[in-house]
Amino acid sequence: MPTMIRSSLHRCAPLTLLMLLALSLHVGCSGEERFPDRPIMLICPWSAGGGTDTVSRKVAAMLEQELGVPVNVVNATGGSGVTGHTRGALAPPDGHTLTMITVELNMLHWRGLTNIGPDDFRPVMLLNQDAAALFVPADSPWHTISDLREAVAEAPRLLKASGTAQGGIWHVSVAGWLDSEGLRADDILWIPINGAGPSLDALMSGGVDLVCCSLPEAASLMDAGRVRCLGVMAEDRIADFPDVPTFREQGSDWSMGGWRGLALPLGVPEDRAELLVTAIDRVIQSDEYLDFMQRTGFNVSPARPGEFWEIMAQFDRQMGAILTGEAFQSVRRTRYGPMIFPGVILALLGVSLAILLFRGGLRRAPDAPRLDRAGVSRMALVLLFVVGYMALASQVGYVLTASTLLLGMLLLLGVRWPVAFATAAVLVPSTYQVFAVGLRVPLPWGWLGW
Amino acid sequence: MDPAILDAARQVLLDPVVWTAVIGAAIYGVFVGAVPGLTATMAMALLVPVTYWLPPLPALAAVVTMVACAIFSGDIPTILLRIPGTPASAAYADIGNGLSARGKGDQALVTSLVFSVAGGLFGAVVLILLGSQLAQVGTLFSPAEHFWLYVLGLTCAVVVSKDAPLKGAMAVLLGLLVSTVGLSAVHARSRFTLGNPELYQGIGFIPAMIGLFGVSEVLKNLLTLEASGHGSVPLEGSSRIRVLRALPGSVGRLFRRPISSLRSGSIGALIGMLPGAGADIASWVSLGVSSRSRQDPDQPDDEGALDRLGDATTANSSALAGAWIPALIFGIPGDSVTAIVIGVLMMKDLRPGPEIFEKQPIIVYGLYLIFILANLVLLPIGLLAIKAGGLVLRAPRRILMPVILLFCVLGAYAINGSTFDVGVMLASGLIGFSLERRGVPLGPVVLGIILGGPLEERLIQVLTSADGSAIAFIDRWPARILALIWLALLFATLLQRRTALVRPSQESSEGVDTPGD
Repeated sequence: MPTMIRSSLHRCAPLTLLMLLALSLHVGCSGEERFPDRPIMLICPWSAGGGTDTVSRKVAAMLEQELGVPVNVVNATGGSGVTGHTRGALAPPDGHTLTMITVELNMLHWRGLTNIGPDDFRPVMLLNQDAAALFVPADSPWHTISDLREAVAEAPRLLKASGTAQGGIWHVSVAGWLDSEGLRADDILWIPINGAGPSLDALMSGGVDLVCCSLPEAASLMDAGRVRCLGVMAEDRIADFPDVPTFREQGSDWSMGGWRGLALPLGVPEDRAELLVTAIDRVIQSDEYLDFMQRTGFNVSPARPGEFWEIMAQFDRQMGAILTGEAFQSVRRTRYGPMIFPGVILALLGVSLAILLFRGGLRRAPDAPRLDRAGVSRMALVLLFVVGYMALASQVGYVLTASTLLLGMLLLLGVRWPVAFATAAVLVPSTYQVFAVGLRVPLPWGWLGW
Repeated sequence: MDPAILDAARQVLLDPVVWTAVIGAAIYGVFVGAVPGLTATMAMALLVPVTYWLPPLPALAAVVTMVACAIFSGDIPTILLRIPGTPASAAYADIGNGLSARGKGDQALVTSLVFSVAGGLFGAVVLILLGSQLAQVGTLFSPAEHFWLYVLGLTCAVVVSKDAPLKGAMAVLLGLLVSTVGLSAVHARSRFTLGNPELYQGIGFIPAMIGLFGVSEVLKNLLTLEASGHGSVPLEGSSRIRVLRALPGSVGRLFRRPISSLRSGSIGALIGMLPGAGADIASWVSLGVSSRSRQDPDQPDDEGALDRLGDATTANSSALAGAWIPALIFGIPGDSVTAIVIGVLMMKDLRPGPEIFEKQPIIVYGLYLIFILANLVLLPIGLLAIKAGGLVLRAPRRILMPVILLFCVLGAYAINGSTFDVGVMLASGLIGFSLERRGVPLGPVVLGIILGGPLEERLIQVLTSADGSAIAFIDRWPARILALIWLALLFATLLQRRTALVRPSQESSEGVDTPGD
């Protein structure tokens, strides 16, 4: 590794001063092959503040003490989990990227949203499993799931339920239960509402009749006496909620829920993976972690890689049966399809554009400055700067890329060179300190390890 | 008096740990808010590990102060550079920066600070006195009501677009269209992604906002660099920032207009407590309601602009306390920040809900005190921040612009750790630049991107649950009220435009006689 650094040093001779500065800082911590030798990125496919994020951040904070390097949580959200899982599976397999994978990994590929599936990860540790539970408002006439079953059988497609988006884990839980009861999966109308919080809101305002989500998410409302839990879709009662009966006790054979666990991309050297498994094992055995999970209401159910793999495989079979089955296909066909909204917007946009064009309203505003040649070439510097950053940063590293680009742009704009040099030399390392060290933004790593 | 109040006061005011947390969080919040791309949510998530080993009250103090300071300091780059630090400032980017360009940057900043403090205090008082009653109002909001609220917010963005509502409408629609790229939240189907997995997450509004405002501003400045004196002169309006001289005027403005300040504060608190609606909608709606003052493009109305700026900043600060109402009472977060707070509280074995008022009165009273304390601390810290921000304007533009560009790149990258977002930022910058040359306002585009997802979600939800009947939108009385408010807003705007078209001819003849007006 040191030889590589030296050769790259020769290649970039002009920036000797910066490089020497960087090298002097770098030499102190380089040496023989060590793992981990730089911060670890923990990808969380869900947004900050949710359950998965809470668990990720706790594990990251404790893993940091175990490994001695920073562990930074990155929320790669969006696309119902596609974004984060894809990024985690395609990350460089050097052990410096972990992903908090969730049950959606078993679902997304069956729904044709991505090619990424459980086989694209090397499981590290299962952390928790949360069973699905059904909630109704406190004043609803149903007290057991058989009450509900009868109501649905008598008047199908009358009740409305929510808890997550179309085809999300809680939707599958309800549809699968109906199917197991010999009813049709769409006998309860699913209203797609993103997230348990807004769904519970809709439950209280009367927008929906049922909500399916995990127990901790509705715990406050249960305490407040606003909602009642009909049952939890688990094998046994949950320790934190001893009064909530299971579906099994009420004569149903159905159980379903979500899981979360840590995984690496395929191809990570086995010794590094083992080191991480051992470290994470120590974290989740600790009293601090167990205490945390108990307080936040997450159900702890650890499983080591082999067992974790088995659990994922079993979920995958179950999900495949539900999601590709005829019962669920009918649910997926929504009447109000994905093109209605963009269609309306496009039509309105077209009308307003036409009126504006007709009136000549889209001409250049009178006070807008003229585009002259020198001005446009100065503007092109912006393009070069950003495109250059995108192309180089991940290879060369933040500090080198940013200082070169900033220096170049300042000089081309006619700033005298001592000023330009001082600006770049002060600003780039200090932004690195603030963003990468202080704020834990995983700025790109490069040749210098910076 | 309840002894718990005294106990809470002692624990909050006499504890050095609380004070350290408040001051530290204030400085952190000011920094995070001022850098576009560092959002309050992200700052909050970074604060969580720190709150693990803080006792509950200092932990809450750190959170509340950080968010209050961040939402104000988002105004500093908005006014000085026209780059909104937080989405909640995008509504008044043009108003604020216009003032700064006319040499009234200090007045604009101090007005924004004073009104933010007032809004924060007002929101705290609403939380304290009316929290549990208002939480019941919140439970009236079904998807149909949310739909109307979003429509109302978007309409306000059109209404405030001065002299060209059609361009405002176009901007909003453009934003809404951009928001449909990616995996549709309701249907879980991909749209306009061309099979690109990066596009599944959609176009993030933070990188888009940084591009639309930040990069386009850099482009505009580089275009005119030589024309305005060889680029070694600082930005326009860079007269020295005189903070203390502007303070009495701003405080006076607050007390001169008690009714409109109360109105903006109430709008903020009400909107803030509704899940899915936060400080960003609050500032647009407040601006829409206060946009009554007639605008004359030839003679900028600085006093009116300061009033409108004040109204909007009051509303977005007051929305922060509003978001705590459903969080404390039902354990349902009002925004992403309170979602994290609920997690922190549960870690301390404090489960939010009605019981927290009986079981943990000290925590509740302590929280109330902290809200007031945080906003009082904001005043001196904010003045210092304005002073420091003013230094930026002294730098010559040819040095300032590349540095701003670097911060734009960093901010766009920081939000998701993705290079793709940097590309989104660049594209939005080019689009923003050409839109602006055609007089299309940029703020409404950002609001469209933010609200597009929730609006579509609510639309489809109402249609699905009513089996396609359009009556469902005005089936319930709260929905009818919101629909009526929306209609009233539309009519008021149309009428106002009618009179505004008639009036200028009269004014110009009168203007000769009364030049002082």
